This record gives sequence, C-alpha cells and structure tokens, in this order.
Amino acid sequence: MSRQAVASDAASLPGGTGARSARRVLARRTTRQVLAVQVLLIVVLLALWEEATRHSPANAFLFGAPSAIAFHLATMLRDGSVWTDLSVTGLETLAGFALGNLLGTAIGLALWFSRFVSRVLQPFILALGSIPIVALAPIVIIWFGTGFASKLAMATLSVVVVALVISYKGATGVDPDQINLMRSLGARRGQIFRLLVLPASLTDIFAGLKLTGGFALVGAIVGEFMSSSVGLGHAIFKAGSLYIISKVMAELSVTVVLALVLSAAVSRVERWLLPWRHDLQ
Amino acid sequence: MTNPAPAAANPAEAGSGPPLAKPDTSPPLANPDIGPPLAAWDIGKTFGAEDGRPVEIIRSISFSLARGEIVSIVGPSGCGKTTLLNMVCGLLAPTRGSVFWHGRELAGVPARAGYMLQKDLLFPWRTALQNILLGLQVKGLGRAARQARAEALLDRLGLAGFAQYYPSALSGGMRQRVALARTLAPDPEVLLLDEPFSALDFQTKLLIEQDTARLVRGEGRSLLLITHDVEEAVSLSDRVIVLSHRPCTVVAEHRIDLPGDRLDMIAARESPEFAQYVRRIWTELDIR
Repeated sequence: MSRQAVASDAASLPGGTGARSARRVLARRTTRQVLAVQVLLIVVLLALWEEATRHSPANAFLFGAPSAIAFHLATMLRDGSVWTDLSVTGLETLAGFALGNLLGTAIGLALWFSRFVSRVLQPFILALGSIPIVALAPIVIIWFGTGFASKLAMATLSVVVVALVISYKGATGVDPDQINLMRSLGARRGQIFRLLVLPASLTDIFAGLKLTGGFALVGAIVGEFMSSSVGLGHAIFKAGSLYIISKVMAELSVTVVLALVLSAAVSRVERWLLPWRHDLQ
Repeated sequence: MTNPAPAAANPAEAGSGPPLAKPDTSPPLANPDIGPPLAAWDIGKTFGAEDGRPVEIIRSISFSLARGEIVSIVGPSGCGKTTLLNMVCGLLAPTRGSVFWHGRELAGVPARAGYMLQKDLLFPWRTALQNILLGLQVKGLGRAARQARAEALLDRLGLAGFAQYYPSALSGGMRQRVALARTLAPDPEVLLLDEPFSALDFQTKLLIEQDTARLVRGEGRSLLLITHDVEEAVSLSDRVIVLSHRPCTVVAEHRIDLPGDRLDMIAARESPEFAQYVRRIWTELDIR
C-alpha cells in the first residue's frame, strides 16, 4: 500500500516529462529575446555616443568616443600590453580573493565552536570591517612595498572581513533542530561540524565568494593606483593623468571583462559543488 | 525480544483502571535487561529560573514505556510536549525528577533512541539514501554494511526508486518517509516521535502511520508518540496519556483496546470503541 502512495506521489514530482520540456522550450525562447534586446540596447547607446562626439571635439575629449575606444583596444591587443596588465591585475585579484576567503572563512567557521570567543572578538571584527580599505593603502604600501605583495594585501584585506562575517552567519544559522537531530544520533561536536555545519554553510559561503570577487578586484586596482608600474589600475591611472579618456574607457572595459569572468567562474564552481541546489542548475 | 517484563514495569497494570498520576516506575532497576526501555519519574521543567522570572512548563509527569509498546502523549497545544520529548532523549535536562533507560538514570543521549520531528530535517545536500545513512555514518559503521541496511529500509518504506533523489525533488510524504527511514536505520529500540505526521495530508498520513505501526510492532521496538491529533493517538497506540495545560501534569491515562488488526488504521477508526475513546479524550483535553 505504501508503494501506491509513492507511485501517486511520483506523478507530482518535478521531472515529470511533458510540462517540463515545454517549459524549457519557453525559457530558451525568452532567453534569446532578452539577449537580442540587450545587444540592440548596446548598439543604440554606442551609436548615440559616437554621434554626439563626432562633431564636437570638446565632447570627444571629455567623454571619449566608441571609435577611439575601439582603436585603443586594438592597439593594446596588438602591442600585447593588455595581456601583461590583465595577467598582473588578474593574478593580484585571484591571489587576494583566495587568501582572503580562505582566512576569513576558516576563522568564521572556527568561531562556530565557541560562542564565548566569538562574542569577545565581535566588536574587533566589526571595527575592522568598518575601516574603508582604501584608507589603508598608504600604510599597506609602507609595509609591503610597491610590488605584488602590497596589491595582494589590499585585495586580501578587501575580502577577509566580509568572508568571515558571512561564513560565521552561515555556520551559526544552522537549524537548531538539525543540531538536536545530530546529537540524538550521538554525534560528537566535530561530527556535527563536518556533517552538518560545514555543508549547510556552503550556500552562504558561495554568496560570499560572489560578492568578494568584486571586492578583491577593487582592492587590487586601488593598490595599483597608489603605486605601481604595471597592471590595469596602473594603465587607467596613467591614461587618466594624460587625459586620454578613450584609453581609460578601453582599460575599464577590460577590467569589466575580468570581473565578469571571475564571477562566472565562481558560479560554475558553485553549480559543480552544490549539485543539490536545483535552483542553480 | 520476548523477555517478560517484571510486574513493576508491566504496562497492562500501569495503564488500566482509573487515571494514574504516577505509574509505578520506581525503584529504578539497576539491571539494564529487566527495566522498561524508558521510564520518566516525576520529571518537571522550569525555564528562566536563573534570571528570577521562572516559567514552569512541566510540573510533574511520570510514565513508562514497555518493550513493543506504542504510547501516545496528547495535550493541548503549547503544553510542553516537545520539552518533554527533549528531556526524555537527553537533549534537555529536567529541573526535577529523572529519566530512566532500562532502569538506569539517563546520562547524556541514550544510545538506542530514534528521534523524529514534524520537520523532516533532511539535509538538502544529501540524497535520500545518504540522508538515511546519516545515523550509521555518525556511529562509524562500515560503508558496505551501511549501504545494505539503508537499501533494505528504502525497499520496506516503498522508496526503492528514489534513493538518488535530493530532498528538494521529493514530495512532503516521501520526505517524511525518508526521515522515518533515517530514524530506523541505526536500529533504535525506542522511537521518540514528535508530531511526525501532522503536516501531511490525511491519506498520506494514514499510510505512513500504518507503515510506522508495522515497523514498530513487527520488530519489538517501542514508540513514544507526541501528538495533538487524538484520532491518530487512539488508532495507533496501546496507551494514550493525556496532559493538562501549562504547567503540565498527567490528566488521564487510557489503555486502548480496539478489535481487529492493529496495523490497519482505517479498520481501527471504524470501530465504535474508537469513537468512544476519542470523545472521552477530547473532553479531558479541555480545549479552551
């Protein structure tokens, strides 16, 4: 008799055939339409921009022009400077992102084990989190020099507190009834952490990863603004100082691509590591 | 399994006749083989005593649960049934009285108790099968043994084709079946169920109640069921204990004698005795 109940349950499951594939076709069509409108929007905006700057040298000087931006992009690609800058800034961002999240998440999760320690540390963490990281740049350069290390430090600092707070929230937000369940099964504290708290926090940790990717990039670029000889931040700063707005825009668009690639990579890893999140698939 | 219980712990005597406030569960028996699997002696719980504004949730409750017996505890909502359950399984210390497992005073979490709530508490990152394996994994059972046990349970609860499904792809009834399988997997002697079926629709509920009765009675386990559903209590149980409003005490205790097959929840509900029990318990519940 329980078999029958299961069979009738099964009919109402997602994964039933007809309705699902119809929905999928519909979704794919909507996606195509959205994409078409987006492309159209970009083309129209660029055309208006180009038109407004064509007959006015002042406008072209102040705002750059799409054609000039394209020219700079082509030059950067041809002389290879874009690859050098991109790889330097990308490496700084990635290293800071990894180090900051590793440290922050490890501390945030470890704080789950002791309510006492986390209460002691709370005001310090909040204070650290409220410092605008940009304001730390001068000290960071004094401490770490003008090379890779200072950018790594800037990117790490931009990430670490956010990662800490988010992972701590995730760890302490576990349903107390689930913890009771684990205790009723005779689980030790370490087992509760490994089998329940850690996997339950992954959703929050990934939300943090998505957020902090951008933060790490900001940290690295600010570090380059302060003092550097290479990198996207350096190139933007230099072009800006020389009033070559179109070149600034060209470097900016490369930076945007870097940010998008980073966030897409995080989403990809998330889908791979959290196969149970059907909303992501 | 068929070890006869001593007279002191015999539920037939403790449960019949006029309502008893204190079934004879004392003195606690030191021999773990002869005490009842579970007994509570005069337990009470008061919250917030330390900050000067104590709230007494449970005044005094005593009961015992014999091997192979199904006992339901019903009470008005908010009377502290869940607090009672948490004390019985060692998750919460009582402020007075003692809990005995096999005649021994409880220290920590009892080894062979299975605990299940209204919320299925399934881990969304584990498949149905992996969820069922949870208890065995905690207890450190080998992979092969775990797997065999869990698959047998999936079969018996009619979940065979759904082992690899994540909870988010299962219906409410099936999720609760998985939770039941997870509870049964470590082979508990005593099941402690807190409103486990109350979120399910009527038909699903009857079927899963039936499966529960089969899995408890057929294998010599004991079941303590906390519920606010009087019909569920009467149709499933050997005894029903009725609790009062807060601070909560035992109002009455009924031995349920229904004709026919006790594994058939629908047949149980059709007998005239069933209606009488339900009506009496409803009166005692004093719903305000």
